[in-house]
Amino acid sequence: MTKTPTSLIESSHEATDLHIRSDLTAAHAHVWEKLAAPGTWWNGSERLAVAEVVRVALGDFDPVPPWDSASKSGRLPNDSVISSELQDAVYRLAVHAGTLTEGWYQKMRDATGVTPQQWVEIIEVTISVASVLRFAQLAGIDSPDFPEPLQGHPTRQTQPSKPAKHHWVPVVHLEDSTPELAPFYAGLPALAPVIRALSSVPAAMDTLFTLGDAQYIPMREMVDLNWTRGTLSRRQIELVAGRLSAHRECFY
Amino acid sequence: MMLRASSTANDLELDLDVVRGDLQESGAIQHAPELAALVDASVNDLASLPSARSALVEATDEATMLDAAAVVANFEMMTRIADGTGTRHPADRLESMSELSSSMGLGDFASERA
Repeated sequence: MTKTPTSLIESSHEATDLHIRSDLTAAHAHVWEKLAAPGTWWNGSERLAVAEVVRVALGDFDPVPPWDSASKSGRLPNDSVISSELQDAVYRLAVHAGTLTEGWYQKMRDATGVTPQQWVEIIEVTISVASVLRFAQLAGIDSPDFPEPLQGHPTRQTQPSKPAKHHWVPVVHLEDSTPELAPFYAGLPALAPVIRALSSVPAAMDTLFTLGDAQYIPMREMVDLNWTRGTLSRRQIELVAGRLSAHRECFY
Repeated sequence: MMLRASSTANDLELDLDVVRGDLQESGAIQHAPELAALVDASVNDLASLPSARSALVEATDEATMLDAAAVVANFEMMTRIADGTGTRHPADRLESMSELSSSMGLGDFASERA
């Protein structure tokens, strides 16, 4: 019998003597449920094809350099439902995100034909896989398998996104909030640009908030500079965050 | 940077070399060397990841190690969002970060977007 996405995560988290927080297991299960299901702009098979490139890229001990084509290296599936140009873009996002430039983004869009909203959804799939697989690797537990793709069509739900001063992609400004974005925007006087970045696709915002709340700090607690779960202090959390970001050469 | 903010809020002196440099035990951040070793191993030396994990568990406990692993996972997410969407800091924020950016060499990053 095919395992459900949630059971794949639970099997991974339970096959260890470690006691993994139930909210973290639930967050990873939530994004695994979405991983191979129809999204906003891509169907389940296409999302899974993106996920497969991310998995290969993250497990690549000798990654293809950013200026070369991963799809021509023979490391990526050659029967993918996404184009080789898009596979290359996903691979570079997964392993060389710090090298991306606005010029690269424009050329990538010309080569692949993806819309900004489709690119945002690709980022959503990438962060789901990167979060789940990197947590498993660091914790020393088995990586969960991918779920089977679900049939169905993307919702193609649009948002009133507009060109943005602080992003390549358009975003929905606070004053233009919609019912779909209300769970993320409501009651906030401002939202950091990096949080607003995915707002043209509310399902991607859901992934960001679900993972961020469980892996880092619940969004509403962010202003408490002494917040803790009782394990890491806030300063220890920020040390780990800052050091990883420096390794990834992320200026933001 | 939230590390600087959380230290200032507690009147703690913090050498921000902890983010990029070699680490000594710090009064401001307990178990900083073990935490940094886990992050470094996960990026640069997977063969040493099991020993980095064990050292952190020995210094703290399993729940702390798991939460550190979760924070790493989270910033594997945040860095790809920021760099994949070309997110920039607002001008006033960039200005307030300028001293910090130059002292840490962040201007050398290809991902700097002013």
